[in-house]
Amino acid sequence: MIGLEEQVTTYILYAIPIYMIAFSLYIVRALKGPTIPDIVLAIDALTYDLAAFLVILSIFFRSPILIATAIVLALWVYSLDIYVAKYLEARELGE
Amino acid sequence: MGFDYILVIIGEVLIAIGIFCDLVASIGMLRFPNFYVRLHAATLGTIGGAVVPLIGAALVAAGSDFLGTYRWFMAGGAVITAILVLMLAPAGSHALARAAHRSGAAKVFPKIADHLEEDRGGMK
Repeated sequence: MIGLEEQVTTYILYAIPIYMIAFSLYIVRALKGPTIPDIVLAIDALTYDLAAFLVILSIFFRSPILIATAIVLALWVYSLDIYVAKYLEARELGE
Repeated sequence: MGFDYILVIIGEVLIAIGIFCDLVASIGMLRFPNFYVRLHAATLGTIGGAVVPLIGAALVAAGSDFLGTYRWFMAGGAVITAILVLMLAPAGSHALARAAHRSGAAKVFPKIADHLEEDRGGMK
């Protein structure tokens, strides 16, 4: 039975290309999206998956600082959603 | 040794489920007709594709002893991120959907009946 470390690292190594395919499909929708909410929704879903991917990569690279960036990324894309929603609905940016 | 191995296996199964949901959601984002149907794909992508792998990553981090001192820190951080995304994603996409419908930015074009529009007395 191979060691725990090799199994986890090879597993994450195989997970990386599949995640890349999913991200490229999201980016295609973000570029193609006819309306503004479509683009923002694609970026929204892409960034939450990127945050999850960052945490998985932090196990792969054994560097816990990546989790802090993942949390900030999730908070950032939430504020993007709220900003665009406020702008679309009331043409004001919350000044 | 056995208990760590079980944790890692369960974590990796959760990550596999998450990757599958992520792929299905990104394909759904491309193939669905309009914005409101794509909200379903976005929800699948964020909850199934981000929260589930985060919990899986937490289990893998908790079970992997080669991380050394960072082991429980990364497990806790992954759980915190999962709870955070679980709270943020629905709120953000709901605000976006509400704004898209009220501002008319996203049309409902395979349209049979739009009861919300009727209830609100037609678009401003």
